[in-house]
Amino acid sequence: MTDYQQNETQPNKDHQQQQQSSIVQKIQELGQTNVAQSPDSNIHVLPVIGQIEGHIQLPPKNKTTKYEHLIPQIIAVEQNPKVEGLIVLLNTVGGDVEAGLAIAEMISSLSKPTVSIVLGGGHSIGVPIAVATDYSFIAETATMTIHPIRLTGLVIGVPQTFEYLDKMQERVISFVTRHSIIKPEKFKELMFATGNLTRDIGTNVVGEDAVKYGLINEIGGVYQAMKKLNEMIEKQKDEREKQVIQ
Amino acid sequence: MILYTPLSEHDIFPVDETEYDQWKWVAIEGKMVKVQRQDDGSYEIVQFISTNPQDYLNTSYMPGRRIYLNENEGSSKRFV
Repeated sequence: MTDYQQNETQPNKDHQQQQQSSIVQKIQELGQTNVAQSPDSNIHVLPVIGQIEGHIQLPPKNKTTKYEHLIPQIIAVEQNPKVEGLIVLLNTVGGDVEAGLAIAEMISSLSKPTVSIVLGGGHSIGVPIAVATDYSFIAETATMTIHPIRLTGLVIGVPQTFEYLDKMQERVISFVTRHSIIKPEKFKELMFATGNLTRDIGTNVVGEDAVKYGLINEIGGVYQAMKKLNEMIEKQKDEREKQVIQ
Repeated sequence: MILYTPLSEHDIFPVDETEYDQWKWVAIEGKMVKVQRQDDGSYEIVQFISTNPQDYLNTSYMPGRRIYLNENEGSSKRFV
């Protein structure tokens, strides 16, 4: 990875002009001249937004989260001693199963406290990512679609393909049930429900229902998530101190 | 026109490969930034990846900001 040298403005322009044009540029960019500053954060944020991109590169107009971008960030969070907790923000339609499960496994294996917030949507493979954290929140209006694994647009022609997909599905079900209090039977029931989704089988679970089924821990947003994460960070610190004394 | 098909849109209308070339990921001060090439040779910041919320308040990485990149070897500096 090579660093680029950043030249914000071209040379041979006088200073005042530079400053003025930079303010004009900022107004054009965000409609304001400065953004709020706050003290250094011991909590880092991992956004999972748009489609989860796996082996196939999606067209440029799709908003995607690439797992090869997220995984090094998760490792950096684990390694950096200044980072004490991680918030995972989800607003995803789902995507590649293998990539999604990889991200979920990475998050669940972090030693630092983690909290997730499902905002808008945490559909399909977003479900294992949402439950991968130590504690999970869902916004009241957010939804999670639970549906069977499939290859979009391809007809499953041979039993081997079916078996392969069935195994993949079993991995998702076991991950979700290991990381939340939902029962496998209930999760499968939601997955194969008919009549809830147009032209598809599965269930669209809205905020409160996700908590009721035991998929997500609590209804909440930023405040609740930060509060919970800070509590967990304090608890972990106390436990470490106790170990040192002993 | 409405297409009733389980196929995704990009399977029916394939995207021109050159579409991807206008964007690239670069590291600026060790941070990952997605930039889009402009006609005047500058680059506009489109996306920024970091887990540190403070980085998002840094005006140097604001989306929409124009930057100039020192390209010595051109494509060899691309890492995505």
